[in-house]
Amino acid sequence: MAEVVQTTRTSLREGRIGSSVSRKEDDRLLRGEGRFTDDVEPGHCLHMAVGRCPFPHARILSIDVSQAVALEGVEDVLVGSDVVSRSDPISVLRPVADAPDLGFYAMATDVAVFEGHPVVSVVAVSRHVAEDAIGLIDVDYEPLPHVFDVESAMDPRSPVLHPRVLKSNLLVKRLTGAGDPEARLAEADVVVEERFSINRVSPLPMETRAIVAEWQAGARELTVRHSTQVPHLVRKQLAESLRLEDGAVRVIATDVGGGFGLKLGIYPEDVLACLHAMRARRPVKWVEDRIEFFRASTHGRESVHSVRVGARSDGQITGMFDAYAVDSGGYNSPMGSPQLTSHMFTGPYRVNDAGTEHSVILTNKAPVGAYRGYGQPESCFVRELLIDRLACRLGRDRVELRAQNMLHSQDMPWQSTSGATYDSGDYEACLRMAAQAIGYEEHVKRGRGPGTDGRYTGVGLASFVERTGYASSKFLARRGSRFGAHESVTLRANRSGGVDVYNGVSTFGVGTETSFAQIVADVIGIDFDSVRVHLGDTGASPLNTGGFASRTLIASAGALRQAAEELRAKILRIGAFMLDSDPEDAVISRGVVCLRDDPNACLPLAEVYDRAIINQGMPPGEEPGLESGAQFEPEAAAYGYGTAAARVSVDPETGDFDVERFVMVHDCGTPVNPVLIDGQVLGGLAQGYGQAVMEELRYDEETGQLINGTMMDYFMPTAADLPEIELQHTFVKSPVTPFGVRGVGEVGTVPGCATIASAICDALADFGVEINRLPLSPESVWRALNQAKASREVRS
Amino acid sequence: MKSAPFTYVRPASVEEALHVLDEQAGAARILAGGQSLVPMLQMRLMQLDALVDINRLPGLDEVRAAGAETIFGPLVRYATIERLPLVAERLPLLQCVMRFVGDPQIRNRGTIGGSLAQADPTGEVPLSCLALDATIVAASVSGTREILIDDFLVSSYTTALEPGEMITEIRFPLAPHHFAFLERNRKHNDFAVVNVAVVGRRGSDGGWSDLRIALGGVSDRVVLAVESAALLEGTTLEEDAIAQAAQLALDVIDPPTDVRGTAEYRRHLVPVYVRRALSKLRDDHEPFDA
Repeated sequence: MAEVVQTTRTSLREGRIGSSVSRKEDDRLLRGEGRFTDDVEPGHCLHMAVGRCPFPHARILSIDVSQAVALEGVEDVLVGSDVVSRSDPISVLRPVADAPDLGFYAMATDVAVFEGHPVVSVVAVSRHVAEDAIGLIDVDYEPLPHVFDVESAMDPRSPVLHPRVLKSNLLVKRLTGAGDPEARLAEADVVVEERFSINRVSPLPMETRAIVAEWQAGARELTVRHSTQVPHLVRKQLAESLRLEDGAVRVIATDVGGGFGLKLGIYPEDVLACLHAMRARRPVKWVEDRIEFFRASTHGRESVHSVRVGARSDGQITGMFDAYAVDSGGYNSPMGSPQLTSHMFTGPYRVNDAGTEHSVILTNKAPVGAYRGYGQPESCFVRELLIDRLACRLGRDRVELRAQNMLHSQDMPWQSTSGATYDSGDYEACLRMAAQAIGYEEHVKRGRGPGTDGRYTGVGLASFVERTGYASSKFLARRGSRFGAHESVTLRANRSGGVDVYNGVSTFGVGTETSFAQIVADVIGIDFDSVRVHLGDTGASPLNTGGFASRTLIASAGALRQAAEELRAKILRIGAFMLDSDPEDAVISRGVVCLRDDPNACLPLAEVYDRAIINQGMPPGEEPGLESGAQFEPEAAAYGYGTAAARVSVDPETGDFDVERFVMVHDCGTPVNPVLIDGQVLGGLAQGYGQAVMEELRYDEETGQLINGTMMDYFMPTAADLPEIELQHTFVKSPVTPFGVRGVGEVGTVPGCATIASAICDALADFGVEINRLPLSPESVWRALNQAKASREVRS
Repeated sequence: MKSAPFTYVRPASVEEALHVLDEQAGAARILAGGQSLVPMLQMRLMQLDALVDINRLPGLDEVRAAGAETIFGPLVRYATIERLPLVAERLPLLQCVMRFVGDPQIRNRGTIGGSLAQADPTGEVPLSCLALDATIVAASVSGTREILIDDFLVSSYTTALEPGEMITEIRFPLAPHHFAFLERNRKHNDFAVVNVAVVGRRGSDGGWSDLRIALGGVSDRVVLAVESAALLEGTTLEEDAIAQAAQLALDVIDPPTDVRGTAEYRRHLVPVYVRRALSKLRDDHEPFDA
């Protein structure tokens, strides 16, 4: 029996900027009453299943679908040739500059380039029948030699994945930087140099990808329910690939069960579901299962770095260089491989001569796409571990060496060698707070052990700067991005006395409905609970970019403020007129408009809104309606920063380690909702922790197939695995964003790997253990110990 | 990830269930907790003609004491084992390992009989049943038979059950007083990289008897380190003896290499974990302390 649901609160919450008002989203989500794409099932809906190449690289010799077509309940089958004749390749939204387009069609035609590459699709009356049909399709493959990693990909004897476009598997190579790092490194008193490997991981949202496509044949309009972070970009991409006008496509994202960068843009299955819906003239639903997810949704990270840092004997860092190769998988996905590794390479340090050589290399693995952090955890890991080693070589304290080289607030704005303009901040304050919180000095005094239990103790630190938001649309244009840096919003008063907010980002777990409502409520002066935020429907919201790059609040806050100020002014004009007074003498206080000097002269907002909406008795010259809209582009990106610290204990006999404490000190600028910020940072740290010690998508070198593509074999941390995390924030306002906010969506992912690796290396420093490869498992620590012991024996 | 078609059967009695198993001649499986079987069906790693759901059969989910013996029905859930005072009292090892099985949702569904039929080489239930020397009672249309746990567990996911048989009882003899259990995982309550269960009786003179050492994750089934235990019989578990027994445990293992660890690493861990488990057995003074 359905219970009676109370829809109005007896007392409305004020929820101003800075308050930790609980999330608007929580009520429905905690009741299990959210509405995700899979919760939508139109009448006569068909279900799609996709047949995928089981090999990393194979020629498709023939496909026999006759038995599948004959199976009762099967309504339509697509093979590569159908798809190529009826659709265009999926566009790249954020290309790596100068990279050629590989022509990513929704289905392989002659050659499949990764395990999981779609080769055939079926729609049927149920997913069960569709999967039965896939089992009846006979695909004749000729397996081809495959490319396993970036090293073998560049071997001239290796097969080339895209011979029509490229001569080798190098998609693009780019040099960035400033000054003369080679000269500085050559003349440095000390140079430390290492090779690091970053693991391939999964962004792993709880909700996999999902789509419900409905084609209104008469109107020639496509309505798509989609689990995405970027409804308007999905609309544009679908229209392009399906050869439709933008106006014929409406995308609706209601609740989205996590994105993490994986849900930016469209995937092959989205095009296939729409093609089926258009041909079968029935709604088509596809919800990705976890087995497909691991093979066909984009992966995150994976790169190999050769890094050098040079310094004077007094500890001043003089030059840095990172030559790194990113394993991009079989195609460049809409968001491509991570692009902020070069941008954030020098981190919080004052270095005038630094650079990177960034190679993007194609291999026969699933395409890599955006993942929370977008290259920044990688640069933090390689830089911070190398700075630890520099400290060791120079016999310097790790905290003091970092502090010596850090930029100070009076240096800012400061342009790094990669062209990043750091806006403001006190980097050293975060470093000192983290060192203090973790008990760094006590640890140095006490030593590493071993303790009575035989375990060694280590403390690790990692400092970072993180880009949040986009520099500008001009910056994006130079990189060929097919979206802008702005956000847009529509505000509309309603006759119940509430304000409706319309925006094109979706609700994917970051609390956007809540933070948007707080800003609108604060600027207008109304109650948080009288603001209703409608997200994710391209049919209702103004054109925008979407929720990623830690940019949603930075860009939207400006649009929300502008639109709310406009609405507020009009409410005051109408309210004052109704109270026979002037707007300057009227104030909005929660549910009413009052006169400043006469608290008894009060009007409920509902009456003011009503008058405006039906245009009856308005001030002379006032336009009907109570609605405002704004577009806003921030003047620059805001750079977040901080330092994380961890204390670990290590069992030298087994390599087993325990992260006993983890501290994160981070600047979040002006906090709009402190609890939401904590949630964001903790969630990111959990993913950083997973990448550091558990997660890795492993392919078999011989077969090229994914070894651990299930939740059983892919080790994602749960709450039971995570250490207690202690958060501290500083609040330095950014001068370049509305209200001084900084993005917080990705920051947690940045320092985890570096901090934990640094701590383990410290614990085992007496053995000479150095760790250069992620993730750190007890076995890998045990191996590193064995190797260190063996090389000591050789030396002694 | 949706199963292929199968017939769902809900028999009214054990006899009817056995009759269906017999009719299907190997193409049917018993559905108990379904925690391994259902995912395998959904992933189409297994295709069946019939699924025989015994969840509503009366009397299969009881634990009872029969003299020195403790007898479990096959449908006893992990959560029951975790909480039942009778188990805590008589088979503390079995109760202790339940906290290492899956998560609360899994423990609310998973059953002792299902776990034994699954015969996971890392499983805590087969491991502790081996350490506790259980006997499996299997029934078919032609009658019942008793199978010693060591004969029951054949290899990875393979048991001595015939296609027409189902487990109707699990019987435990009187268990030694003391136990220790250690497990290494890649993540919380994941399949073990290595696990060790030891039980033994400490005499009034401090000497140990009836030792059994069971190892999981290091062979194609959970295994007993018989020689190691024999070496320690009558000793006070002094360090040297433990070290020797720990080393001897290497003789009974043949560890796999998988995503959780290499054979080399497991081989390194086994003597360490056997040594630590035996030390724990010796040093934990509370007889039922985990």
